Amino acid sequence: MKSKLTILLLMASMLVTATAQEVEVTSRQRLLEGVEGPAYYPMLDSTGEHLLFLTDGGALKVHDLTDGVTSVVTRDYVAGHDACWGGDGNVYYVTQQVGEDHLVYRTGQCYDASTGKTVQVTEPQHGAMRAVPGTRGGALKAPGRGYASATDIGSAAWTEENRVHITVGGEERVFSPVDSWAGYLWASLSPDGKRVAFFAAGKGIVVIDLRGQMLALLGNYEMPCWYNNDYLVAQNTKDDGHQFTSSQLMLLKADGTWQAELTSPTSMAMHPTCGGGRIVYTTIDGLLSEMHIQIHE
Amino acid sequence: MKKMIIQSMMTALLALAAVSTASGQQPHVYINPGHGGYDSDDRNMVIYPFAQGDSAGSWESKSNLRKGLALKEILEKKGYKTSISRVTNTTADDLALSTIVALCNQSGADVFYSIHSNATGTSAVNNFPMVFYRGYTGSPQVVNADVLAADLEPYLYANQATVWTHNYQIWGDWSFRPEWGTQGYGVLRGNRAVANLSEGSFHDYIPEAYRLLGLQYCWMEGWNISLGADKYFGRLNQFGQGAVTGNVRDDRIKRLQENPQPFIVYGDDQLMPIHGATVRLLDQEGNEVQRTMTDTLRNGIYTFKYVNPGTYTVEVSEPSHFTQTATVTVEANGSTYQNFYLKRVRDTPPVVVDYSPVWHEGDAAVKCSHPITLTFNWDMDSVTTCSAFRLEPPVGGTFKWEDSYYRLVFTPTDAFDVNTLYTLTLDRSAEHGGGTAMDEDFVMQFYTQPRNHLEELAVFPYEGAPVHFKTPTVELRVDSLLDTYNLFQRLRVLDTDGNELAWNKRSIKYNKKGDAYGYVRIPLVKNLEPGKDYRLVLDMDIADTAAIHLPAQRVINFTGVDAGADKPGMTVVEPFESADGYKAWIYVYSIDTHYLPVATSTERLFGDTSLQLTYDFNDKSSVLISYENRHDVSFSKGDTLGLHVWGDMGFHRLEVMLDKDNVSGARLPIDTIDFHGWRYLEIPLDDLEEGNYKFAGFMLHRNNQLMGNTGIIRFDNLLKKASSGIDELQVAGMQVRVAGDYIVVSADTWVQGVELIDIQGRTIKATSGNCLNVADVERGIYVVRVHINGSTSSQKIRL
Repeated sequence: MKSKLTILLLMASMLVTATAQEVEVTSRQRLLEGVEGPAYYPMLDSTGEHLLFLTDGGALKVHDLTDGVTSVVTRDYVAGHDACWGGDGNVYYVTQQVGEDHLVYRTGQCYDASTGKTVQVTEPQHGAMRAVPGTRGGALKAPGRGYASATDIGSAAWTEENRVHITVGGEERVFSPVDSWAGYLWASLSPDGKRVAFFAAGKGIVVIDLRGQMLALLGNYEMPCWYNNDYLVAQNTKDDGHQFTSSQLMLLKADGTWQAELTSPTSMAMHPTCGGGRIVYTTIDGLLSEMHIQIHE
Repeated sequence: MKKMIIQSMMTALLALAAVSTASGQQPHVYINPGHGGYDSDDRNMVIYPFAQGDSAGSWESKSNLRKGLALKEILEKKGYKTSISRVTNTTADDLALSTIVALCNQSGADVFYSIHSNATGTSAVNNFPMVFYRGYTGSPQVVNADVLAADLEPYLYANQATVWTHNYQIWGDWSFRPEWGTQGYGVLRGNRAVANLSEGSFHDYIPEAYRLLGLQYCWMEGWNISLGADKYFGRLNQFGQGAVTGNVRDDRIKRLQENPQPFIVYGDDQLMPIHGATVRLLDQEGNEVQRTMTDTLRNGIYTFKYVNPGTYTVEVSEPSHFTQTATVTVEANGSTYQNFYLKRVRDTPPVVVDYSPVWHEGDAAVKCSHPITLTFNWDMDSVTTCSAFRLEPPVGGTFKWEDSYYRLVFTPTDAFDVNTLYTLTLDRSAEHGGGTAMDEDFVMQFYTQPRNHLEELAVFPYEGAPVHFKTPTVELRVDSLLDTYNLFQRLRVLDTDGNELAWNKRSIKYNKKGDAYGYVRIPLVKNLEPGKDYRLVLDMDIADTAAIHLPAQRVINFTGVDAGADKPGMTVVEPFESADGYKAWIYVYSIDTHYLPVATSTERLFGDTSLQLTYDFNDKSSVLISYENRHDVSFSKGDTLGLHVWGDMGFHRLEVMLDKDNVSGARLPIDTIDFHGWRYLEIPLDDLEEGNYKFAGFMLHRNNQLMGNTGIIRFDNLLKKASSGIDELQVAGMQVRVAGDYIVVSADTWVQGVELIDIQGRTIKATSGNCLNVADVERGIYVVRVHINGSTSSQKIRL
């Protein structure tokens, strides 16, 4: 009875905390307005100073938010969908070609942002290949011979089917903390490298520690990114089975005790990315925007 | 048997070869059964006997999953690697579109199929396969997505167990949905695989909804998608088994229409699917290879899966039908279609078990429109039954079969003659669907009533009527209450090019029970064009509630006019801008405020108001509206009086009252109100006695017909034209003078135009100003017509 009372009191105090907490969107501005056409899949680096994005025409570009210069990484249409920043400042991405046998062959690429040069880092291979960001570099996970920018690319997290892989100090661990028939997606390390958030299809966003212990379930939102060590931004997408009907950005407290809307429930904001205190996102028609928030705790 | 064993071994070896050659290079297919769960976005078609929301009924989410699971099973048998976005049909499985795309991308799949069925979402009913890829048609965003689609569609369209209404279609989603811009379908957006969204058929085509309830039909679509994948990857020769499928239907019984509303069916879908038929696949030695049954879900589908190549017999049996067989050839990795049309077992001769009208000597006579209905114990053969049908005296008519040839309905082309004894003989040559004739003739008689056509009492527009152009109202009145079901479709107004003018159906008025006569009154949505000719067509099948129709189609010609058009030479005497000075009297002239007219802005031709008289005759025979204020203008012999009247088709007689020296002077019959809307009426006052007459009001005399006991008429601008053609009315301060080569008009107000008219009434010259150059006009007597303040004033002038 006493323990039940304690739980109730705890829940009540959490509720008070939750109601006392709020977020203020302090600014919102369009990025690259009049300079670029529709842009999707924005990806900020950890400093928040460089932004990758995919144009409607199929070019993967990088935009330097400090000097306003935009460079083309590649004009391969599929490259931009899962490109990532390595901890070394390079861009790791995958290109693909359809072979004569109509199988899809994928090739790992590394773009050196300082020189503007791309190096092919894997042979074309049939099957799943994906770029994985590490805190000190990047890697291409492939069905055959993959690539790593260094022996130790630092801490990293990525998903494969219904498994989340976490590499720390050169040691890789694999966890399946929640059931998900369709699989896991969008794994990322918190800035302090102590937690991993990922999406489990049918379950939502899961936060675990580096030993695979589940810390919180944050709700059925997609594409989580760490805003800071305590908060994540994610998208709340609705559709009618054929097309999107709304896509809202949400701010989620990593311990699962609080959440708030960053855009209206009827908005079409999607593909959030965070870095250096910035939040960048796009809309269904490709309008890139930057948002700044202030969290009052 | 030995042959079968060898065949099976070869098939197993081929299947093994398919897997082994693909070792390490297996094509990887990501399968997305569209939607998920039994929610509002999961496309529930309500079909009998399932209620809305019943998970046992028709749901796109359910059939998509069945197709997807079948495809997964088949592709894995064929040596493919597969991934699938869901394996159950629950809300939790209904993943967001962006999640599905990300899962597909992460999986490294080569191709992606999102499996759906389609719906028009409108009253149009279609059934054909469609497939979409991301991008514009012919220009896919991901290379080869158009090739994948082109490889798939012929296999879907080859399905002969369904009924297609159109050929298949392949679209880039940006071309198909230009209103979405480049957003496109959510599962194609950002998808790196060679991706298609397949709409295999239309689930709002009800027979297809029933087919999609069946596991075997869904499996077959999965099979056909697998063939599309095989074609795309060049693997058609790598699987050693085929499939046989088809539809089992009755050869002539129509399918039941048990849905809340009758539904549209095309082609063979008109025939009844056979429930519970046993379908056997027999080898050439007669050994049963596979056996299946058609289900009870109104689709008649059977399917044999994974059949070794060879020649087989398909045997279909069902107790109420004769057994049928067909020889089929199965090819490796192919689809074989064989439909069956079973003949019913009919084991007794046909007889008439019911008929109508039932009449015996001394009974009330039968309506002349009454169809003859014969109901049989079996479905009948149309040719022999119709040729065995004889009426005396003969009457032309049409035969219609109902209830799958169980009921024959004969409807006379026109109507049966009045007061006539008819004898129907159906001679014994009539056969049922199995070819057996009746044992004896069937004979019946009936006597008809003395009325066989609908009588038209009145119609507007009538032949040659001038009809005010603004959204005119059409009305038909007949001698009994009309059957109003879809009645508006049987009246049409056409212009001279044959274009039909739309009715304002929201404002339609019909007769109702208790009315003394039948009527329909409908305004048009749009205006007529003044000066143009039109025709009103009344179809012959306009009928009363007893199905007595018009004797023939009627075509009535009329002309659009502008009743408010300028009337040259006419001066406004009374504009009806106020109801002051009017009093109402009823016969025999006792004052009655109930009839007091009012000024109304509801319907007017000029100014702000017209004068409206609302009448209710009941036991009164006429109403008089007197005007107590006298105008300065008087009428005299030879003048013309003009009046704008808004009619209600009340058929009452309207008179204008003129007083002579403030005592009753003359009652001028204006017209019978046999029209709707505004009309300009003109009366020459040639028969007046000498003297000065002034407008003193109206008199409305009740008609002696059934109609128009109550109603509304309205008046606007009462006009006068002086006998000389020159108005005596002088506008304040107006002067007309000849100054050199000009006629100059001046007045206290704005002069809007000057016309010079010769003695034949022809306008010689005109100006929109106040100075008219007459330098080139011959000397003589003319009339100058001056336009001021919306009215005209005329004056003789000598040049």
